[in-house]
Amino acid sequence: MSLRRDVRHGLRIGRAEFVRSVRGYASETRRVVGLLLLALVFGGNLLFSLPVVYVAGRRAQSVTEIPLFGLVATAVPVVLTLLATFRTLERIGRVEHESLVLTTVHPRAVVVGLIAAEVGRIGLWFGLPFAVVAATFTAGLGAPSLLVTAVAVVAPLACCTTVWGYAAGVAVLRGFERLPGVRRTLKVVGFVAMAGLVLVSQSFGRSLADGSLPVDTLAATLTFDPLADYLALAFVGTPLARPFSAPAVATLAAIVALTPVGLVVATRQASALWFTDHATGGDRGSAASAKADGSHGGFSTPRPLAATKGGHVAWGLLVRGVRHPQKFTHLVMLVFFLGPLGTTIVQSSADGLGPILAASGAGLGTYLAGATFGLNPIGDDRPQFPLLLLTATAPRTLVRGRVLAGAILGVPVAAALPLATVALGTPPLSAVAFALVGVFMCLAAAAFAVGLGAAYPIYEEREFWGATTVVPSTLVLMAFMFVVGPGTVIGLVATWFGVTGHLAPTPLLAAGLGLYLLLTVGVSYGSYRYAIRRYRTYTFD
Amino acid sequence: MPSTNADAAIEAVDLRKSYGSEVALDGVSLSIPSGTVYGFLGPNGAGKTTTMRILTGLSQPTSGSVRICGLDVSDRGKLAPHVGYLPETPPLYDEFSAREQLDYVADLRDIPAETAEARIDDLLDRFGLVGDANKRIGTYSKGMKQKTAFIQSVLHEPDVLFLDEPTSGLDPRAARQIRTSIGDVAASGSTVFLSTHILPVVEAVADEVGVLFDGRVVAEGTPDEVKSRAQTGGEGSLEDAFLAVTSDETRLTGVADE
Repeated sequence: MSLRRDVRHGLRIGRAEFVRSVRGYASETRRVVGLLLLALVFGGNLLFSLPVVYVAGRRAQSVTEIPLFGLVATAVPVVLTLLATFRTLERIGRVEHESLVLTTVHPRAVVVGLIAAEVGRIGLWFGLPFAVVAATFTAGLGAPSLLVTAVAVVAPLACCTTVWGYAAGVAVLRGFERLPGVRRTLKVVGFVAMAGLVLVSQSFGRSLADGSLPVDTLAATLTFDPLADYLALAFVGTPLARPFSAPAVATLAAIVALTPVGLVVATRQASALWFTDHATGGDRGSAASAKADGSHGGFSTPRPLAATKGGHVAWGLLVRGVRHPQKFTHLVMLVFFLGPLGTTIVQSSADGLGPILAASGAGLGTYLAGATFGLNPIGDDRPQFPLLLLTATAPRTLVRGRVLAGAILGVPVAAALPLATVALGTPPLSAVAFALVGVFMCLAAAAFAVGLGAAYPIYEEREFWGATTVVPSTLVLMAFMFVVGPGTVIGLVATWFGVTGHLAPTPLLAAGLGLYLLLTVGVSYGSYRYAIRRYRTYTFD
Repeated sequence: MPSTNADAAIEAVDLRKSYGSEVALDGVSLSIPSGTVYGFLGPNGAGKTTTMRILTGLSQPTSGSVRICGLDVSDRGKLAPHVGYLPETPPLYDEFSAREQLDYVADLRDIPAETAEARIDDLLDRFGLVGDANKRIGTYSKGMKQKTAFIQSVLHEPDVLFLDEPTSGLDPRAARQIRTSIGDVAASGSTVFLSTHILPVVEAVADEVGVLFDGRVVAEGTPDEVKSRAQTGGEGSLEDAFLAVTSDETRLTGVADE
């Protein structure tokens, strides 16, 4: 098939995939509401930043005056490539219904289609805010042509980096297919790396703000001048224009030459991935992997869980979780909250380190107890409901088992980490108090989570890093964090003041403490009862 | 092993497929003439779907070769117009309506717009889907999905049509519609490679039958030939023959060597 035909087919596939995505976004009212909320939050921030952008445009006299232009110009292709690689790993490494598409068109058309759809999706998410910022800057500068030249300069770079990022992502997926052990290891490494990145970015931001970071030296070291020269071409025809430079033109030539090469490499990589069946994804069979996995003996619940039906249910959840850890991808959200906390820990004095770690351990255990199994109980259990709801096991046992599973995971963390920090100087009394509060919070969080999750179940499976799984709603996860987070912090702070003798026993304090306990226990128990009711009255409508 | 036949619509020679130490196909050879409805039978896990993926070029054999209409299946560009494939799970997009889905596939198949429109209208009408053609596929019943997927697999009038369990889970009326359509496709000169567990369907439409067991073709011929080879007593059904040739004894004695 000719290149022209493949590109045409690719664009058709891209259009179809894009339309499917948009219809998916708008398929449910709750998704639309979530998107509107997102637009409200980020749109507000954007609006407030526009005057600054406008003034920057008014004041800009030359490209060199744009802060960190060289560094940003160097970072743009790196970030775009990494983004494409990540999205390939996460989503676009395979096309849905391969058997249809791959028996219909050339794989090159599929690669073009997947990349085109992804560019469309990214354009939908980021294009509008980017266009608004660019238009505001252009208005400040008084040079409308900048909008056109910027697109003309950025588009080839975006195409090139996207194609190569896609090729890199598919190459990584092929590596995963050949070495499944590496996939598992890299997921752990990836999680740790992401946590590290958040921590570093927090520190970087602070250092940038307080001027302690040698920005100029850093920029001089990391800037790749030919790229900066190339991106400066976007300012042709504006007061900021630089004279044409040979490196800029050479960079443009390299970008134009590398794009088709990247497409060839990406197509070969993708063909090798799609037509080689180590595969377990897509709509291919997984006979090989199914044969490789297995277990011996029956389902035997260890003591003391074996003593109750709820214990059996909890053990079943734990076993399934261990065998399919992708179910817990939503827990990654915690990373974004680790940043400020991590910076605080790093900057805390030696005296404060132990107690802060102890409190963090209690908080982490609380988070795990609620968020791991509790935030989408009905969505998780629905495929089995025709069995579960018609057995002699009462709904309360199913819910209790889920709470128990969360507690089994969270309580050891909440208890052990505070106690371990005694070695770092935490007074034993404080460590024990934090551990006890942590255990109490774990139970409360696990009970609260099941009700919250039952109120807003998610049934649709999503693909994440090649694993198809049902994850809780982001709104539910955020609500859980906004309720349990402050609640836990209040409890831990009060505990700290209590054990260090900073709280005098007054009627007001007793009333406050009573109200806090009443709310914590009451809300959690109410939520737990609500989950049971949802299970009891569940119908497949 | 059948001899190489230049007129064969499907020609597979000594296909082997291994997943590590697991052997999925062990020397499968097929030579299926044009215009034949070939019933491909076998118990679960015998390797039927693996064979179909290899025959459609979606998977590569560990060794062996496949030609469809004289074309090597590795040449996908040339192969695509000649084959239609309906896998067990209908490859449909829930976010599209049936008409959008079929328009989309027609686009990708380079069927001229007017021809595509006429064919789509005709097929939707024949399968009783006209009234629902503009509804999203996500709202369809299993039967409606299967019929839509069948239409999309024959939309470009392929020379060879691969069907994997096309009537599984359908009500009798929908199953009969599909079965009748298989006959129509064959009558138009196309070859149909039909994999199914529903043996009455095979008896009703197949000219030839191949039985796959443990990665090997253990019986092949017309339904009557397979019945007689399986020594079911002459009056036995295809089901009796199937059970006979896929018994453990077969594995030991090798019926296919006949």
